[in-house]
Parts: sequence; structure tokens; C-alpha cells
Amino acid sequence: MSILIEQVTKRFGAQLVLDRVSLGVAPGELFVLLGASGSGKSTMLRVVAGLTMPDRGRISLADRDVTTLAPQERGTGFVFQNYSVFRHMTVGQNIEFGLKLRNVSGSERARRRDELLDLVGLPGLASREAVRLSGGQQQRVAIARALAYEPKVLLLDEPFGALDVKIRTQLRRSLRAIHDRLRITTLLVTHDQEEAFELADRVGLMDRGRLIEIGRAEELYARPRSLFAATFLGSGTVLTGHHERGEARFQGLEFKLPHGEGREEGANAHLLIRPEDLLVSAAPPPAGQPALGTGAVIDQSFAGAMRRVRIRLPIHAEVHQASSPPSGPEGLTVDALLPSGDVLPAHDVWVTLRRWHFLEPPAASLLVADLGRGPTAPLEVARDLARGLDAQVTVLGVAADARESDQLGHRIARRQRRSGLSAGELRMRFGAPAIQILNEQAELLSQMIVLGPRAGRFAWFRGPRAVPPRRIGKTIVTLLEQSRVPVLVVIGPWHELLHLAVVTIGDAGAAGLLRAAARLARPLGMAVTLIEVEAAASSVLDGTRAPRPAAQDPLESAGVGIRSRQRIAARNLDEMCSGVLEVTADLIAVPVIRHGPQEINEVAPLVTEILSVADRPVLIVPTQR
Amino acid sequence: MSAPPPRAPGQESAPGPPPPPAAARVRQFRLPESLGPVTVLVLVLLPLLLMPLAAVFVFAFRGGPEAFVAALATRESQFAMRFSVLIAFATAILNAALGTFAAYVLSKFRFPGRGALNTVVNLPIAIPTVVVGTSLLLLWGPIGLLGSALEPYGLQPMFAPVGVLLAHLFVTFPYMLGSVKPLLDELEITYEEAAATIGASRWQTFWHVTLPALRGSIFTGALLTFAHSLGEFGATVLVSGNLRLRTQTAPLYIFAQFEAGNLAGANAVAAVLATLSFVIFFLLLNLSRRAEKPS
Repeated sequence: MSILIEQVTKRFGAQLVLDRVSLGVAPGELFVLLGASGSGKSTMLRVVAGLTMPDRGRISLADRDVTTLAPQERGTGFVFQNYSVFRHMTVGQNIEFGLKLRNVSGSERARRRDELLDLVGLPGLASREAVRLSGGQQQRVAIARALAYEPKVLLLDEPFGALDVKIRTQLRRSLRAIHDRLRITTLLVTHDQEEAFELADRVGLMDRGRLIEIGRAEELYARPRSLFAATFLGSGTVLTGHHERGEARFQGLEFKLPHGEGREEGANAHLLIRPEDLLVSAAPPPAGQPALGTGAVIDQSFAGAMRRVRIRLPIHAEVHQASSPPSGPEGLTVDALLPSGDVLPAHDVWVTLRRWHFLEPPAASLLVADLGRGPTAPLEVARDLARGLDAQVTVLGVAADARESDQLGHRIARRQRRSGLSAGELRMRFGAPAIQILNEQAELLSQMIVLGPRAGRFAWFRGPRAVPPRRIGKTIVTLLEQSRVPVLVVIGPWHELLHLAVVTIGDAGAAGLLRAAARLARPLGMAVTLIEVEAAASSVLDGTRAPRPAAQDPLESAGVGIRSRQRIAARNLDEMCSGVLEVTADLIAVPVIRHGPQEINEVAPLVTEILSVADRPVLIVPTQR
Repeated sequence: MSAPPPRAPGQESAPGPPPPPAAARVRQFRLPESLGPVTVLVLVLLPLLLMPLAAVFVFAFRGGPEAFVAALATRESQFAMRFSVLIAFATAILNAALGTFAAYVLSKFRFPGRGALNTVVNLPIAIPTVVVGTSLLLLWGPIGLLGSALEPYGLQPMFAPVGVLLAHLFVTFPYMLGSVKPLLDELEITYEEAAATIGASRWQTFWHVTLPALRGSIFTGALLTFAHSLGEFGATVLVSGNLRLRTQTAPLYIFAQFEAGNLAGANAVAAVLATLSFVIFFLLLNLSRRAEKPS
């Protein structure tokens, strides 16, 4: 490997800028790090050059460990966005600078200088004052200067960012041509997708300090593995469903799609549909084609040879929020491309899938919200869960402001060490706890939120109210209403998670709850007790009345044994609640019901009651009816 | 392939300003609006600045050119002028090095107490020069804190050329710093980083990259220092002891001759000093104009 980056981590204060980044760039490769501003890509480049020192991790250049070396000793050529051509020198002096420092003879320097000037397309300009050149020419000088002493790698930090579009395209072509000539290992950083696609042999996508995905441009676009790559590059709709018996099923949609091997039963399925994957027609498609249904054209725009058509379908499918175009409560909105000449009716347009792509299930990850005080049971439970589920843990501290942030960060880090959770990456945010926890979950795609009963900053000041005390603060209420992933409220001291009690309330969301329970119980080896609160009784509480399905089905198909099954039919909440709590269990799982894609979860009074009086951890699972 | 650029609304329909009627283009004679304020300003400046400056030259040449040359030819005036120029040169060169170094340290390094140090180095601007002279005397004088320690070795910086140099360095220190530091602060770190990746050590970077970028402002600072040193009086009069043919600078000589009633002698040297200052001033003006021009 020409450039080898291993587990590099860098913090600026409490801010995590690089998070365990690992990357290998092959000799002669042109690798592009692509990401939005603030994603850490420039810091990564500076770490390779030695201009920034990493907190952890190793950098090797041409199989030599350079982690502790100064930039002067690394032999890299660096090109900056602002050119940084030395102003008081001529073009020639700029290029020869590195050779002069290495005591190369005058004639050799001149030979090399002229060669490089030819290479970058500025022949005969050696005696020009560098600052008299245009921006594009200055950047060419900077590239020649960086290549003069034959560095092992060429590093470019947004090299075309300050240039106008036309010059940028020219210079991009020149760079590619130079690279094809010299075959020097090159690492380039940009936020410009087009630039990355045009230049790169391979692209690495960065987001919030992490290297999310690496691949050739076409691969990343057509067959991304991660949700981030799917939504960052190009547009497209991501439907969320689940895997069941070798097929992916989607709420609100008729079809089932076959998918590859190795999908976990009950796990989420993310289906990426690009505009060019959709077939739009006035006539219904032949039978057997997976059709989304019929919808109305709500917008059209000219895009050269193709026309972009936006169609709204009256389907309440579950759509990931990062989808483009976004879908609202009115239904599923998709973009399709079709030839400009084609004519479509405004209504009753058939939308059929021509191609589709499943995203990889994201690595299991847990998000623990910590207050920096109180019992450390949530951290300890998260540690056990992470071990059992083979998941990564991120610990989140929410501070009131930046000043409080560092102090809180130190306190939480101490608690992490005490709880044996040092491996968990600590992140800090400021603002309202519930919102920040939800934002962090959405960005990290964590599959579970773990927190203590009083996660709000001000919960401390709430006096005792009823007996038994109501332990759930505003933060938890907001999370229950808005979270799209299970929320584990760790009540009471830590103990081992051996028995799981799953409480179904009528049939509402039972299937989703049982799928979630199975995914937890199987890897952790938990024994499951199924508690079915009678539909007759629960109807008093939330008005549900429907025939009870074969509720144990997902558990059995996932291979989880049910230890016992109980049915509770009580007159009131108190009786029901104490009935649930009588069951031997270390963890109680209850459902909250989500309706549309945007709506808040419906929290049954029984769930609130259980949370208020429980003496053990409660897992709240948002599921759909 | 791409859509045509959006046209600004109303670009075509909005009428431009109507062409001026032919009659309005006939030039009418009117007193320029500026006449009043300019007259007032000149009238104020005349007794305030212009006449005193002229007076120096008028008085210097009142006895004819021979008297002027004779007044400049005395041993004392010759010494005073040479000593002043020498001290100004030494001050400018020493401060160019010291000030640039201070600016570099204050601009490139982050250390505790940096803010305080930044304030302290600019303090000499605010302190009356007489107070500077007094404090130097209290430190280096024969009964001063350090002076008394040096006394047994026969070292006596006060009432000697070294003392004058010390006073001038103190008083002019902020000018160099004020000229170099802003530029250094603005000079982007990427220039130094570029040099570092190319392989230049910290010193090589400073010598080949940073210093050349500062050339202009170092020269400006040195000129400013030179000019201030040439005219420095308050601190010099205290630390020099005003010893003729030993520590007497040109301003001190002028003052001494005035006191002794030798107006011709005083004016001749004053005229030379004024001329020298004019030259430096126009040099500085020229330099700053050139710096302002876009590259």
C-alpha cells in the first residue's frame, strides 16, 4: 500500500473529527475522499501530510510508519485550495524551491523545472512573477511545485474549489492527464460529486468523521451498501420494510421481492429506487412485474434528453427520511426519468420497478444517552447488550452549551471507564436532550436508544408527585412519541438480562414487537415469556378490537423458544400493570404504535403506567399496526 | 443542454434614464462647491502647520547661505547631527530584528500570557517619553537597581551613547511591531504549511517564505523607527545628560542653542532635521502607495 491509514481518530476539544478511519490507497491510484464540509475529509488529508497529529491510529507511506514524523520528513506533495504560491518568487523559483532545499544542482533544477512547466501546461512561464498569474495558472504552479522533488504521494485539498466552473473542468482534465502520465499515488479531497466521479479510480465517502463506504464511482452510485451512500450520491427513494422467509416485504405494497442470502429474519430491509429504475406508463404493466401502483404527476422538469417526472402515489409505505424527493402524509412521492418526447396523462400513471437494489443492513449499533450523574446502570446494560449483539456503542452527552460540554464530556468518560464501556465512542451535542438524542440516532442509524429514566437535564428538579413516583420525564415522553427505533429505559440497578417478557396489547403492532423481541432474544439467549393483554380488556384502554393473530409466529420462525404464555384480562390499569410486573423477567418489552411516516407514536396508557411503576428495564418498541 | 439563464425581471421593459436635454449639457460657470471648506481648512492649517514649517527655513537662511553653512560647520553641530543619524540607524536596525522576532513569536505561537505580552509590547506608545527616561535612569542609573550592580565593574550605561540607544529602542519598539505584526497575522498558515510539506525546516520556511513576504513592512517599520529616533527628545534629554560632543543628539543641540540664544545655530540644524524628515516621510508615503496597489 502506498498510503495506509489505520484506525485514525482525532478530536478537537469534545468534537470528534475523525472516528477510527482506516483506508489503503494502492500505488499509482487516484483516490478521492468525498464528503460534505465538516465531514473530516480535509483533516484526514492533513493527518496524512503530518500537518495535523492524530490522537490515535497509524499512518504509513510506502510501507514506512510515518505517524510521528514531521511533515518535512514524509515526502508528500501538498496542494492547497488557496494555491499558496510563494508571492515574492517567480514561477520558476516556486517550482525549484523543493529542489534547492535538497541541494540539487542549478542545471538539473532548470531541466526539471522546464519539464514540469510543460507537464502542467505553462511552458516558458518560468520567469513570470507567480502572483501575476490567474488563479487557475497559480494552481498549476502549485501542482508543479508539489511534484518537483518527486514525492511519494500527492495530496490535494479541494484544489479546484476556488476556481470558476470552466477553469475547474480544464484543470480537472489536466490533473487526470498528469496522473495518467506520472502514475503517482494521489489522494484528493473534495465536496464535489462530479469532480470525484470524473477523477477518481476509487471514491471514499466521509460523513461526520467516519469513512462510510469505499468503491468505484459507478458501484457507489448503482449498488451502494450504506444508506448514506445511497442518499448522498444522486437522488432516490429508500423504502423500509423487513425480511421475512427469504423475501422482503413492504408496508402498503403488494409485492414481495426476493433478496440475497444471509439476511436476518425480521431485520429491516432498505430498498433503494433510483429515478432511472422506475418504469412509468399509462397502461398497467404485465402481471408479475413489481408495481408500486398508480399515482398522479405532480411536477415535471426538463433535464436535457430526459424529463424528470414527480409522481405521488396514495400509498402509506414506510419511506426513509433521507429519501429524495421526501414523502409526506399525502402518500409516497417518487421521481422517475423518461425520454422528453414521451407523453403521460396527469392521473392514473402506473409506476413499476424495472430494477432495484437492497442496501446492506447497517452494522448493529446502540446509542446510550448519559447524564454524567446518577446510576450507571444504563451504561452497564448497554455494555452487555453490545457484547451480546456484537454492536458498536456510541455514548451521547447532551450539554446546555459549549462551555458545559467539555466538563460533561470528562464526567461521562469517567463513568464509561467505571462501567467497562471505554470502547464506546463519546459524542457531545448541545440543546434539548430529546431532540438531540433523536438527531444523533438518525445520523448514526443506531438501532436502539438506551437511557436512564431521567435523561432530561431538568428532570432532577422535579419533585415527587404521585406514589409510586412517576419516573418518566419530558425527554422520555418525547422519545416515546417520536423515536422510530426501540427505546430501552433502564430502571433500577444493573443485573443480567436472562428473561424477556413481551407484552402485546391486543393485536396492535404485535408482529413488529415480536420481530424486535426475536432479534434481541436470540443473540442474547434470553428466555421469552409472552404476555397477551386481552383485546377485550385493552379495548377499554385504546379502543382496539380485532381478531388476535398467531402472535408467536415471528418468534418461532426466528427460532426463539417461548417459555410460557400468559393472558391477562383485568378490569383496570392497576390490575393489568401489576399482572405484568408479577411475571419473572429482567426486561419488559412493550409496543407503541406508529401510524403514518410522519406521525407521532401512539402511546397506550398501559405503557406509561408500566414505565411509571416498573422496577426493571423496559424496552419500548415502535411498531406499525 | 442547460436551461437559458433567467433574465432579470423587467430588464427589457424598464426604460433607462432619459437622455439629458441639449441645453443642460452647456457648461455653466459656477464656483466649485469645495471652495468654502477648502479656504477654511487652509486658513486654519496656515498658522498651525504650514507657517511654522516655513519659519524654520526662513530663519535658517536669514543670515545668508554662508552663515547657514558656518552654523552647520561647528564641531558641536556636526557631532550632534552625526550622532543622531548614527543612533537612528542603530535603533532602526536593532529594532527591525527585535520587532520582527517579537511579532513572529506573538503571531505564530499560542502560549499562556500571550495577550498580556501583546499589550506590554505596545505600552511604550502610551507612556510619556519623559517617564521612559526617568524609569531608565531609575533602573540603569548609578543608584538604580541594575546600574548600582554594574557600577563596581566600571560599566555605566546612563549618560553615555548606550543609554541613548536604550532609550530610543524602548520608545520606538511599538512602531516596528505595529508595522510587521498585522501582516504576519494575515499571512495564511498554508504558505508555511506548503513550505513544510516541500521539506523546509522552520528556519528555512521563515527565511525563504515568511521573511520575504514581510520585506516591505519591515522596511516601513524601520523607516518609521528611524524618523522617530531622529526626533526623540523627552527620554534622550534625561538619559543622555546632554553632554556636548558625547551624548548630545541633534534635537538636544537645537534646544541647547536656543537656550543659549544662538538662534542661527539652532535653526540651521533644525532645517537639516526637517529636510531629513521630509525625505523619510515622502519615502514612506511612496511605499504605502505602492503597497496599496493591487497585485
